[in-house]
Amino acid sequence: MWVKRSLMGLLLVGVALAAEAGLATVIPDTAYRQLCMLAMINVVVALSLNVINGMAGQFSIGHAGFVGVGAYTGAIVSSHIHQSLGAHDFAFVSSFMVVPPSLIAGGLVAALFGLVVGLPSLRLKGDYLAIVTLGFAEIFRLLIATSSPGSTGIRGSIAKLGGPQGYAGPLDGGIAQYAGPFWVVGAMIVCIIIAWRLKFSGWGRALQSLREDEIAASAVGVDPTNYKVTSFVISAMGAGVAGALWAGMRDGNPTVQPEQFNFAFSFDAITMVILGGSGSVSGAVLGGVFVTVTVKMIEQLQRLEVVEAFKSTHPEFDLNALRMVVYAVVLILLMMSRPAGVFGENEIGRWFRRKQAEA
Amino acid sequence: MSALKLSHVSKRFGGLKAVSDVSFEVPERSIFGLIGPNGAGKTTVFNLVTGVYDFEGEITFGGTPVAGKKPSQIAHLGIARTFQNIRLFQSMTVIENVLVACENTRKAHLWSALLRSPLFYKDEAAIRKEALRLLEVFKLDKMADEISTSLSYGNQRRLEIARAMMLKPKLLLLDEPAAGMNYGEAEGLKQQIRWLRDEFQITVVLVEHNMQVVMGVCEDIHVLDHGETIAHGNPEAIKKHPKVLAAYLGEDVAEEGAGSSAMKVLLSAADKDAPTNPSTSESAP
Repeated sequence: MWVKRSLMGLLLVGVALAAEAGLATVIPDTAYRQLCMLAMINVVVALSLNVINGMAGQFSIGHAGFVGVGAYTGAIVSSHIHQSLGAHDFAFVSSFMVVPPSLIAGGLVAALFGLVVGLPSLRLKGDYLAIVTLGFAEIFRLLIATSSPGSTGIRGSIAKLGGPQGYAGPLDGGIAQYAGPFWVVGAMIVCIIIAWRLKFSGWGRALQSLREDEIAASAVGVDPTNYKVTSFVISAMGAGVAGALWAGMRDGNPTVQPEQFNFAFSFDAITMVILGGSGSVSGAVLGGVFVTVTVKMIEQLQRLEVVEAFKSTHPEFDLNALRMVVYAVVLILLMMSRPAGVFGENEIGRWFRRKQAEA
Repeated sequence: MSALKLSHVSKRFGGLKAVSDVSFEVPERSIFGLIGPNGAGKTTVFNLVTGVYDFEGEITFGGTPVAGKKPSQIAHLGIARTFQNIRLFQSMTVIENVLVACENTRKAHLWSALLRSPLFYKDEAAIRKEALRLLEVFKLDKMADEISTSLSYGNQRRLEIARAMMLKPKLLLLDEPAAGMNYGEAEGLKQQIRWLRDEFQITVVLVEHNMQVVMGVCEDIHVLDHGETIAHGNPEAIKKHPKVLAAYLGEDVAEEGAGSSAMKVLLSAADKDAPTNPSTSESAP
């Protein structure tokens, strides 16, 4: 088993290295390369939300808050390490000293916030988690967005995060962006493996039983609060890692702004999970990619000359709003044809097997 | 030594006294019946014992007080139960339903699951084997991988008992196990309950309306009406108890003495050694 494991590990590192070396050649256009990496990061976002919304059957609608916590933490850690290294370019070799600590810090801080948010709200039955998570994400965003450099005390410290203009490293020179394809691909694969192992284990079974019938589950010894809080913390941790990756993404946005973690982002994350199928790991991957690409495609559409011309004559026509229309149409069509999402709760392998059996 | 002891237990839901000042002891390895008309508070007593609600008074399980413990903790103490309206994990398979019941007995299973250590595979194989053995006992092993809702009603009831037994309980609470069963199935159930008690060395408490089962299998019976104790004793004594007759058949009938004959009709099934219908008999080996 250990031989097999080591080989798999080597293969994983190989794939990630190949991505690092080859992605720029395969996709020469920076915008599309960025889109590709963003899709992979969104897969991590969807996978992490899937743990609490899909597997545990709770409803968190403030996932953007945890991604934001991770992004700010990751940005601060990586920028400071970058500064102390005295390095000027984002060399691949030095990324090994920057990216792992920033991902770990982002994940841990987000997990801590997850514990603080989840512990009181998951003890109660009902929709409290939805309310509290939404509140958390909005408080997080607004606290940063409304802080001004002149203020004192806690608000003054928050103002060091850059306020509405965003955080751009300790010297305002931009965040240290070391996370190239190697890290993005690697983190995504690791997250997929973790999500898969969580789902197909006794732990995943216990979560599923809780979702089915909480009273019966506790009568056979599954403690609802314990399992829900643990899965919420894991979910928040995943979101934090995704945030840190996102902040430190090579060629990405050099600042982290509070507005990026608004409710629309939480909504996107929920769409990813529901679209792919709540509780399905394959579904989360599919949903993450699909939503990212759709958003980007609409953005690209907006830049078309025809659309630009149309917009100048019809200023009330906002294509960003059209994104919501596209989502709505896709979701309605999907809910009509596959009410439980593309994969339902199943995984891609099972889907293929059933197709074979039918054939 | 009693397996379960209730002393002066009361439970109020707002203005309604669902259980008031109930005390009884369940002897170890006995089969104990808790009966009474609808709304007597029988299921509420089960819910108090398993920690679903808090209560006044004292409930001890093998000397340990259960007050203030969460349902999951009480399950780990060794009290397992079934539900009046079957509560299976519907989208899960038969074997998964049973496997859930031993989840918390494993140590550090989140880490071993994440790392997929050798311990994880060993553990998983061991509990699967154990679950299959239990399913075999309840004749459900052939459908281990079916979704639990695809099972017939009787099989679902037995799956619920199998799931409860996976906890390795010392006390099993059965809430209307014979509900919806015909005569032959109920006869089979009687044998199964006795067999369960002897094979696993457990104490069984059942809430049941089916007098054929109650009178046939219980060694001690406690009768509740409107949350209060009205009688306690062995089946013979309960059958003749005037308050029991009154509760089941109405005051007037019992007072006139006509009730006793009506009750006799009601209870006659329990005395009769009727032949079991082979096609519906579902006795355990």
